[in-house]
Amino acid sequence: MVTKTEETELNQLENQVENGGGGVWEYLSLVRKLKVRRSEIVLKHGLSILNDPGKRSALGPDEWTLYEQVAIAAMDCQSLNVAQNCIKVLKKKFPESKRVGKLEALLLEAKGMWEEAEKAYTSLLEDNPLDQVIHKRKVAMAKAQGKPSLAIEHLNKYLEVFMADHDAWRELAEIYVSLQMYKQAAFCYEELILTQPTLPLYHLAYADVLYTIGGLENLIAARKYYAATIDLTGGKSTRALLGICLCGSAIAQLSKGRNKEDKDMAAPELQSLAATALEREYKQKAPAKLNLLSSALRSLKISS
Amino acid sequence: MGTGSNGELKYEISQNAYIKLVLHSLRHKTAAVNGVLIGRISPKDDGVVEISDSVPLFHSNLALLPPLEISLIMIEEHYVAQGLSIVGYFHANERFDDVELCGVAKNIGDHISRYFPQAPILLLNNKKLEALSKGKERSPVMQLCVKDASKNWRVVGADGGSKLLLKEPSANVVLSDYITSEKWKDVTDVDDHLDDVTKDWLNPGLFN
Repeated sequence: MVTKTEETELNQLENQVENGGGGVWEYLSLVRKLKVRRSEIVLKHGLSILNDPGKRSALGPDEWTLYEQVAIAAMDCQSLNVAQNCIKVLKKKFPESKRVGKLEALLLEAKGMWEEAEKAYTSLLEDNPLDQVIHKRKVAMAKAQGKPSLAIEHLNKYLEVFMADHDAWRELAEIYVSLQMYKQAAFCYEELILTQPTLPLYHLAYADVLYTIGGLENLIAARKYYAATIDLTGGKSTRALLGICLCGSAIAQLSKGRNKEDKDMAAPELQSLAATALEREYKQKAPAKLNLLSSALRSLKISS
Repeated sequence: MGTGSNGELKYEISQNAYIKLVLHSLRHKTAAVNGVLIGRISPKDDGVVEISDSVPLFHSNLALLPPLEISLIMIEEHYVAQGLSIVGYFHANERFDDVELCGVAKNIGDHISRYFPQAPILLLNNKKLEALSKGKERSPVMQLCVKDASKNWRVVGADGGSKLLLKEPSANVVLSDYITSEKWKDVTDVDDHLDDVTKDWLNPGLFN
């Protein structure tokens, strides 16, 4: 994950590069190091180095790294000719390389030649069955073809082997959510919370999924995970505070007319606490929206 | 007016409402995005729904309820003072060549139409959007979908249809300019707001 400091550094450097202030190679190196996606800028400035024989040879062996970086950026920008030329140069230099083989497969994929790409990836996997990147390409290809169930199948197979890959679990969860398969998404977030219990993001996502499924039990559980999110962020999660208010209102509605014990589940004081924290935050940071927030919170209370 | 006659209604969308939604989808090119349409039934002609504004909603996990519920409450609350309300839904698919209305879009459209029965869904048409820079496309780059008598969402008009009208005929020209000048970078949605409440989903400075 990219930290705030790294992002600031990256943006400053990007600004400098975009305004002709130099530092292009430093920028390109940072983009690689942080694994961020800035394809348009990488393509523009990377290509200008590659097209300048003096600058290019000054890079020494890094020249090949740049060809690879520009090829990938070009594919992301649909500049397939540029990508093809970069890959051609690399192929000439490293005729037997599997790494270049991956780029060739990627190019087939970018051209939408799904069957050919699939074949290329399969043969690469025969040589190295544990290549995570290629497994993920297969998932991405299924998604690109509008076959989410195939993407799910690939991801599940992948996760049987690479159980500790958080990004893959998260991707799977998000595909499930997009197909409105909330129970399956909840399972993924449970896995993520188990392996990384201190990351508020997963608690929040889990709570959102539980709330979406609905029903008294899920709503009460959702509220617990919103509370955990607030705890883990030191009270700084607007989404979780709003979640507490939504849960309070929904729980009160569901437990209407039940016995007193069930009614206590609504825990109106928790909802009030969250509302106060939200109003404080808006007063400080978004005073123009404070009235809006207050009346929204009020309508949640009245409806409960 | 019966809900069965939604196909007869005309929807007139203002330039700002239209452009804001398209720019939002360009800001998040690799993700599905959505938004709501703000407006009213025309006081002059009850066969026309005037869409005068729009609010960009989300660019991640569109199918989760909590952020959606809270944003719909706040948006209704804001516009009610101006005599306006949520009158429809906008959706842009994740994939370029995906022209289907997905389950999530239909569900949110259904929800909105419970409060405003004439509510349409506008689905971004990527092919038309792409052609914008080359050609003289005058019609909206969105596909109009309405609920038919049997409560199913269906597309109106084969080519986007004349039922969805741009209030200002120049809207596509202005949109093209904004795309060239990368104005989409300035669009803020509710997702951004929930991560940092100083960001305003009303996008007050966008068209200045």
